[in-house]
Amino acid sequence: MIDIFLMILESPFLLRALVGVLMIAIVASTSGSFLVFRGLSFMTSGVAHAALGGAALGLFLQASNIAPWFDPMLGALVFSVFVALVTGYAGETGIGEKMEVAVGVSFALSMSLAVFLMYYIPPVEVPSIWGYLVGDLLLLNNLDIVMLTGTAILLLIAAILFNKEFVYVSVDMEGSTAQGLNARAYHYLMLITSALAIALATKAVGAILVYAILVAPAAASNELLGSVRGVMIAVFVIAVISQLAGIAISLSIRASPSAIAGILAALSYVIALQIKKMRDRVHVDEELEQLLRPALEEILHEPAPEHSHTHED
Amino acid sequence: MATESLISAQDLAVRYPNGEIALHHVTFEVGFPSFMAIIGPNGSGKSTLVKTALGLLKPLRGSVGLLGLDSVKNQSQIRRLVRYVPQRDRIELNVPMKVKDIVLMGRLVKKPPPRVASENDKAAAKSALRQVAMEEFWERPFPELSGGQRQRVLVARALAGEGPILMLDEPLAGTDADSQNLIVDALGVYHSENDVSIIMVTHDLNPIHTLVRDVLMLKNTVVGVGAPCDVMDPGLVRELYGPTAKIVEHSGHRYCVTRDSGVDRHD
Ligand SMILES: Nc1ncnc2c1ncn2[C@@H]1O[C@H](COP(=O)(O)OP(=O)(O)OP(=O)(O)O)[C@@H](O)[C@H]1O
Ligand SMILES: [Mg+2]
Repeated sequence: MIDIFLMILESPFLLRALVGVLMIAIVASTSGSFLVFRGLSFMTSGVAHAALGGAALGLFLQASNIAPWFDPMLGALVFSVFVALVTGYAGETGIGEKMEVAVGVSFALSMSLAVFLMYYIPPVEVPSIWGYLVGDLLLLNNLDIVMLTGTAILLLIAAILFNKEFVYVSVDMEGSTAQGLNARAYHYLMLITSALAIALATKAVGAILVYAILVAPAAASNELLGSVRGVMIAVFVIAVISQLAGIAISLSIRASPSAIAGILAALSYVIALQIKKMRDRVHVDEELEQLLRPALEEILHEPAPEHSHTHED
Repeated sequence: MATESLISAQDLAVRYPNGEIALHHVTFEVGFPSFMAIIGPNGSGKSTLVKTALGLLKPLRGSVGLLGLDSVKNQSQIRRLVRYVPQRDRIELNVPMKVKDIVLMGRLVKKPPPRVASENDKAAAKSALRQVAMEEFWERPFPELSGGQRQRVLVARALAGEGPILMLDEPLAGTDADSQNLIVDALGVYHSENDVSIIMVTHDLNPIHTLVRDVLMLKNTVVGVGAPCDVMDPGLVRELYGPTAKIVEHSGHRYCVTRDSGVDRHD
């Protein structure tokens, strides 16, 4: 135990990975949960790919000397906020399907822009664009950690302060607005902070892990648990466990920890569905038994008079 | 407007962005306090009128107001006074809220952040659930209730809140006779015991015509407005529900027969 502890402290890689695990888990339990509540799990991949478009724009502006100060990361963040704004605008009336479509369209737009700009970016720079989609838990640098921690804490504060508002906006936008809540402001706050966190998390640990960790545990918990707080806590726990398991396994076999964590997180959803199915079946069995019990008892008690009858004979 | 009006409209017209004129030439006034029903067939602009009065939609022309407050100019004042339950299909069921969270929402949404429920809030929420016979569902997940039960919880959300006007959009949609009676009785009792006006949208006057004081008949414009018995005029009913609707007089009672609501007695 102490050995492991020392090993972690001595290895900056592991230390950064651990901080990353916790921050990703915070992002998952806050924005992941709320996006799943709103039927917006697709926004995770939409934002990540939009960020790619933004990074491409940044590289283009730098390489072509139009705006050398325009960092690709800045482009990535601007584009993810763009997706959040378009999605939020489509969803101002509170209809989930419209937001889903808006995510798809802004995603396609940013991605097309990225591919378009790639022709004008020096070929040596192109791989670094794709670098925005493939990070890894064990390859985090200090800047990643600082940015990721910053947004995770921002997101956590927003979720703690405005937990009820985010829930109200998700469940009944129209009713909340009509009763005086500034629903639109909370709606955008939720989407924009989520988008920023997704973009930074993607840069840090890679798109696949972010999709898996943001969507699957929340969807799994939402199948099984009946309260917002319960879901958020369960998501945090599932996210931490699957990522730690990912790192632990990757230390013994040669594999990407993010990939293993992603697989484990996705499995949590499959398991949750299975548990739910079993639970429903038990439920039905109980109901059936309750329905049949009177009849059953009747049958069981029926022979009694008959029995005494034969006894008389 | 000499006396205070609950809801009034002057030459109101509302158009949706797609060009659909949902309401036009709407002029009427209903006094305060009242238990009021807005009736009309599907697509007649009932929800549109309610949403415009709450400032959720902007008038294309004319104006609508509650308690003399204009829906555009005094929007925030109106929203403080009204407790509103939208049509049930506007409630997202993917959020794992408990029944108690939904009912408490009616109170907490009007509090400043962090919106913590006090004992007082909880007592009001429990009492509201009792009024619709749902008190034993306090801890249950809202999305797992049946449609009619959910509707009752939403009515409880309105009852638990504060403010002199209750606006309910189709609180009887998808409920069976028992739930309907429960909801209607709860609203009737609440209206008579509290100084609260109720505006409810329904396309069926049947379950509530003995309780309501005023009826507004809409079909994209005002077809009729008045006491239930006054609007139960054969001409008006046919105008509203089509030529198959009729009013039958039988042994001193008037029955309104429509395909929509079946037979409806008015005397
Ligand atoms: N968001 C919208 N965009 C465009 N048109 C709309 C929208 N909502 C309603 N309409 C149109 O406005 C008209 C009135 O609709 P409204 O929802 O007010 O009717 P309603 O009387 O509440 O009907 P229902 O009994 O079905 O609830 C309808 O013709 C409808 O097609
Ligand atoms: Mg309607």
